[in-house]
Amino acid sequence: MISLSKAEKSYIQAGILGDPPHRSDGRDLHDFRTVALETGVAPLSNGSARLTIGRVLRGGGGTEVLAATKLEVEDMKAGGVDGGRIVCSVTCSPAAYPHLSSGALEDLQYDMTMIINQTLSHPSLHPSNLSIVKGQKSWLLNLDLVVLSDAGNVHDALFMAARAALWDTKVPRTRSIEYKAAAANRSAGGMEIDDASGLDTRQQPSMADFELHDFWDEGEPLEGREVWPVSVTLNLISPMHYLDASAQEEAATPLRLLLAFSFSPSGTALQGMRVLGVGELDAKTVKQGIEDGEKYAREIYTALNAKLKDEDVRRNQKASHRFARR
Amino acid sequence: MQSGFDRRRINGPEESFPPIFYDSDSDDDAPPSKKPLRNGRSSKDIRPIFLQPGLINQSNGSAYIETEKTKIACAVYGPRQSKNTAYSEHGRLNVEVKFAPFSCGRRKQPLRDAEDRSVAVAIHQALVSSVRLELLPKSTVDVFINIIEADGIEGCIASGSVAASTALADAGIDLFGLVVSCSAAVVGDEIWLDPTEEEVQSSNGTMVVSTLPALNTMTSIWQNGMLSPSQVLEGMGICDEKCKDIHSIVAQAIRDHAVQQV
Repeated sequence: MISLSKAEKSYIQAGILGDPPHRSDGRDLHDFRTVALETGVAPLSNGSARLTIGRVLRGGGGTEVLAATKLEVEDMKAGGVDGGRIVCSVTCSPAAYPHLSSGALEDLQYDMTMIINQTLSHPSLHPSNLSIVKGQKSWLLNLDLVVLSDAGNVHDALFMAARAALWDTKVPRTRSIEYKAAAANRSAGGMEIDDASGLDTRQQPSMADFELHDFWDEGEPLEGREVWPVSVTLNLISPMHYLDASAQEEAATPLRLLLAFSFSPSGTALQGMRVLGVGELDAKTVKQGIEDGEKYAREIYTALNAKLKDEDVRRNQKASHRFARR
Repeated sequence: MQSGFDRRRINGPEESFPPIFYDSDSDDDAPPSKKPLRNGRSSKDIRPIFLQPGLINQSNGSAYIETEKTKIACAVYGPRQSKNTAYSEHGRLNVEVKFAPFSCGRRKQPLRDAEDRSVAVAIHQALVSSVRLELLPKSTVDVFINIIEADGIEGCIASGSVAASTALADAGIDLFGLVVSCSAAVVGDEIWLDPTEEEVQSSNGTMVVSTLPALNTMTSIWQNGMLSPSQVLEGMGICDEKCKDIHSIVAQAIRDHAVQQV
């Protein structure tokens, strides 16, 4: 993204291709920078997370992404889809990309939105509990991601933050209710209406709605939250690949392979794959990339799950402490 | 009732959509059991391709591609001077995709509608590695793609990049090779090549593979949906093989066109 001179680019590339490889921050080729994650950062959302990669304590810097979900009731008649739907959007803060014009920034956030949206709102990942009243009302899940600063590897950060926010999302419990018109109304003005007529095509005057439970309730998590994908970006400098590029390294690497994996008891699945940048791939590189990518993604997945469970415990304990003090 | 309501006329609903008519020749009404799977295509068959370079006279190069219900016209202008941009040592490849308002089941708004840019980005990714942009400093190559009829986004990306690459060759722009793309959908355990929109909807996942058959390399892989890594690799292999067949069609079309010009 940032511009580098040819000498700088070649210096970074030579370092990565060297034996042993060298990176400017002393990391190994397949090391990540420190990833920090906190959930529940936006109290008015249904689920939220803040994720930073490579932030130095008190020093700042690094890539920072904020993700939040918001549920909205949607009527089938007003363009809703039975079973609910998920819409993702990515916004880039102009502060994260000070050198980009507003048009270029818009294109950049549109491209990020497309990758996230095409992957996460695919029917194969759709949670089953976004329906409220079958055929009438459902939840529209808006997932909004904000890139606050970009110091490289923003795609992995976006996917991790999205996963954390979706993991954290609580869907309010609802109970559906139905109104039926009283039978007396049907013989209006003393006129007899023959109920037995087979030609009566009028709809039964029934109306469905829902109500929230009237005791305090935090809701239930999204169904199948284990399968939300994590992504891993392989930065390719033939014949090597390395992970978690910093902004300078990103500028020196022409070709990237983005892989989004989901892990479930039934097995590993690729949820999305994109080639980004200029360059050519051969089938062998892709095959090796998918094999290695799965390994890295599984490590990220395990670490992320451990942290998310930790966060659940931390927040629930805090809540119960506060409750006990009252 | 609101005060500004017009009682003298019949008021239709605020929004309306035209009815969708089913063609009598397509067997959409037939029960699914009687309908031949994939309209009689086998899993590795692609739809027949009609490719015509040199359709738009005023452009430097152009091509028209038709694969049953996907119809795409593409024009290439350039290389021409980059305006309003900083000096760049490499040329710029600019891809723009427009859907005709009547190209899909739902009408597309004529101005900047969604999807356009995502298809453009996918086609740009497929093409950019094949064009020798290092030979064109300070210049831009514009590729304009008009989708006249669409049958699934995957088909648009695949056919669009084939048409664009043909148009680039027709414009005489230096290329490393012709870019040929093939799409595939995984339905159950089977891999179906070149799926229609209907087939995509019933699939677990889809992919579009763009290759340079002349160099035996890939320029882009675009995959969506839930597929196991082995399915992806298998699909990539099948698409790669099919791309070699399509490559000969594209090369033949360009050769025929060149002969006509002489």
